[in-house]
Amino acid sequence: MTTKQGDQASPQASASQPNESTVKSAPPPETPAAVLTRFRVIAAFWAVIIFLGFPIWWKTTSIYRAHLPIEEMVDWADGKACRPVFPLEIHLATPSMQSIEAQHLLRTTQHTLDDLNEFAAHHLRLKLANDSATASHSVDNGFDGAINAEGQAPDTALTVRLLAQEGLAAPRSELHAATTQLDVFYPPSQVPVPSSSNSPLSAFIAEELQQLYGEEKATIAHILSGHTGSLDSTSPRIAESISRRLRRSMKYAETYHLSFSLFTPGSEPSSWDIEAAVKEYLSPLLQAFEPISNFTVDTQVQLYANFAPTAPRPEYDETEAAWTFKKEDLSAFVNAAEWPLNPSIGNGPTINFILYVPDPSQSPLIVKENRASSWIVPQWGGVYLLNPTLANSKQGQVNPAHLSQDSLGPAFMTFSHQLLTLLGTPSTPSSLPLRLQTSIRIRAATLLLSASSTMGSLARLTESLPSIPIPASVASSVSTTLSHLGATCSHLREGRFGAALASARVAETEAERSFFEKSMVGQVYFPDEHKVAVYLPLLGPIGVPLVVSLLKELKRIAAGRKARRAAAAA
Amino acid sequence: MIDRKVMVFGAAFVLRLLLICLFPSLPDLLTGRVEVSTPVNSFKRLQEGLFLYSGNVSPYDGGTFHQAPLLLPLFALLPDAKTWPLPTAIFYILVDLVNAQALVTISESGQSINSRFHSAVRKHVRWNGVSVAAWFLFNPFTIATCLARSTSVFTASGILFAVSNAVSGNSVNAMLALGFASYLSMYPALMFLPLVLVCYDRRTQSPQAPKIAPFILQHAGLLLASVAGLLGLSFLITGNFWEFISATYGFHLLVPDLTPNVGLWWYFFIEMFDSFREFFLGVFWLHLASYVGGLTARFRRQPLFVITSLLGVFAIFKPYPSISDASLFFALLPLYRHLFPLMRYTFFAVSAMLYSSLLGPAFYHLWIYAGSGNANFFYAITLVWSLGLSILLADTIFAALRDEWEQDNPGKQGTEVRQV
Repeated sequence: MTTKQGDQASPQASASQPNESTVKSAPPPETPAAVLTRFRVIAAFWAVIIFLGFPIWWKTTSIYRAHLPIEEMVDWADGKACRPVFPLEIHLATPSMQSIEAQHLLRTTQHTLDDLNEFAAHHLRLKLANDSATASHSVDNGFDGAINAEGQAPDTALTVRLLAQEGLAAPRSELHAATTQLDVFYPPSQVPVPSSSNSPLSAFIAEELQQLYGEEKATIAHILSGHTGSLDSTSPRIAESISRRLRRSMKYAETYHLSFSLFTPGSEPSSWDIEAAVKEYLSPLLQAFEPISNFTVDTQVQLYANFAPTAPRPEYDETEAAWTFKKEDLSAFVNAAEWPLNPSIGNGPTINFILYVPDPSQSPLIVKENRASSWIVPQWGGVYLLNPTLANSKQGQVNPAHLSQDSLGPAFMTFSHQLLTLLGTPSTPSSLPLRLQTSIRIRAATLLLSASSTMGSLARLTESLPSIPIPASVASSVSTTLSHLGATCSHLREGRFGAALASARVAETEAERSFFEKSMVGQVYFPDEHKVAVYLPLLGPIGVPLVVSLLKELKRIAAGRKARRAAAAA
Repeated sequence: MIDRKVMVFGAAFVLRLLLICLFPSLPDLLTGRVEVSTPVNSFKRLQEGLFLYSGNVSPYDGGTFHQAPLLLPLFALLPDAKTWPLPTAIFYILVDLVNAQALVTISESGQSINSRFHSAVRKHVRWNGVSVAAWFLFNPFTIATCLARSTSVFTASGILFAVSNAVSGNSVNAMLALGFASYLSMYPALMFLPLVLVCYDRRTQSPQAPKIAPFILQHAGLLLASVAGLLGLSFLITGNFWEFISATYGFHLLVPDLTPNVGLWWYFFIEMFDSFREFFLGVFWLHLASYVGGLTARFRRQPLFVITSLLGVFAIFKPYPSISDASLFFALLPLYRHLFPLMRYTFFAVSAMLYSSLLGPAFYHLWIYAGSGNANFFYAITLVWSLGLSILLADTIFAALRDEWEQDNPGKQGTEVRQV
């Protein structure tokens, strides 16, 4: 209790001011009206808290957890929901054979194939081409016909045409490089007679097919076994080449950005026929890859691009009459610090292709050990050293100012080859459509496994962290993923690999989206104890006086009631 | 007496006009200051909305305009502020003068001293209406708000007219004015309860006294009707009801724009974990709203004082406060001149506010332009500003309680403390 200066200034108050000792000894009792007012004040604050505060608290901090089909997700991850199988349908066209003979040949060849095959998930199914029209149809369409996504019939993986040819001692085969057709020439004498159970021709065909699909089979076995073991019988050489290929190739993505860059240390060449070159050499390939991934292409020309100051310089080699780089120095060739190579544009990985035109004073430039002019940078891109014919001018020899489409030809051939490697396309067989088909099957298997394991991880995550929210969008993504995984599996079983890949791509995208849902991971690192730190600093200071006053008020009411009861009893 | 009023109003008019003419860049400078212009009252944003509106595009399309749509046709009538700044400026000055006139009415009614249940102990310590108006008109915060052409002045006139009509007994007009203010800025609707009590106390002084519950319901209906009418008009203007509701009231409620201002919200919500954002939005709004019930119950005898202290609460705890809110609180404070002798921390509160109004712009400059400070510099100053305001507010409330207590216990002296 303090004396107020203001009171002295006010004559009314000071006139009625009693001496201080009275005040201190006897504070005036509270009037019932004051008690009622205080009750109303406290009630007003608590009414706001109870009728508005608690509902808001409940509404805004409750965690929404959509229902997820956990068991089904775990089944997919454990491989219980689907055993991927790859039945390849191979048509046998026998224009010069009797139907009976053809049937017999088919049976024996199939028998031999089944004997040879030790990986059950991947098997070849032979079928007679009904008539030549079907055969030629599928041959004409080549690759496109093999990946019809809507069709209910299985994709035709390969057409084998048996052609009789006089004057052959043993059958020989010829694979068309641009179509899915294998021509087998055989001496007419080797047509199997229905009585015999084996024939050199069927053994030959089975052997050929087995060889054709050997690498694919090994790769799929490698993927399905989870990169740990592979087929026992796979030769170490093939296993080595498969794992080497997988190490070099980019991780699968919906969209790849291809970036073509022309680097030169001088001022020339300053232009190139890049648009025509891409259209001529690359577009057909990209079109063929359309069912697997999308591509965007951008290009740039960078003049006065120097090597990194610490990078080794090329040396002149007298015997080769050329400037050379040592093989081990190639890793320092790309000046990552100064050359404007975008690590990634948008949301897909970038594959960089660098066309380097050396300075006239250092031309020609090659790799020392093998005189190569190009190399792959694993999971990053490719480099090609272009040594154009030098033009003479007053200053001596100079690079041409413009690179025509023809001079870019070899470089782009190399680039398309590098692109195939970077995308993980197998190196055999020699027919490009067959390799792309193989690629489709491999990708479908990879995506199927990856989406399944993402589902498993998501299931484990939501199980182990009961405090994270699961938005409805995640639940719908999960159900889309599961249905597309199912579709992939059944498409695979029926041999429709194009459709299977399309479903698998959707499944993979949705699975990634559900796993990386932003609102879900936000609270992963937010344990319950931290909530105290969130609530207390603000709500503590507000809450304590409110709670204390509420308790006091309750005590007063209880005391009043007791007193009244006591009075009533007395 | 009339001469004095004319002199004060004339001087205020001339002062503002002089400032604009002598320093032509001053209005634009002030318009850009974060202390004066917030996302919900900035004149710049209004012009953006106006440009879109005159181009027949939805004014809310750009995402920068968050003010009530009825302001647009009003400002479309005025000539372009860029090429002809004077008409707009004169319009704002007139609004200021009209607000001052409302203050004069409030002051002369004497409701702040003598009301139905209450009669102040120090009745003779008071200022007349013209002095109160002068305090308002020559307050640098008011002048800055006027020059910056902030649209908060319309909310302020809505509130002041509601109060002035209430104290003079025009309860219908009071509700319409409050409806206008609520339509513009939403938060004035919280003042409905004390305002209707002012009206009711005023009505009971006349012979036929109505019952309190129907009276409140009637006036609540009136308020709702006026707001609904204004919303209907806005719908006619914008054409897209939900777009304008979410761009204006949604913007007030959800506080998506965390541009620094003199308030306490922006820094807190920058730092807040995303998952708790909604919860704390609720807490902050409830905190703001919870004062209404408590203060009204405690000061049932002085509803006009509840309005004054609520304005102080809003100036501190609003999501987008500016100095215009503080100037409105300061405008009503001189009505309680008789409480000044009872206040204990005036020196501390005033120096805290002076300190922050001088250092605030300096620290903002250090943070944003010089780059030698960081956000904490400015936030610390806004904390000091809010602290100064809260001390002043708590002190006023204490003085009013003390005054009531002295009235109840004549000749006694002691302290009664009720923390808010």
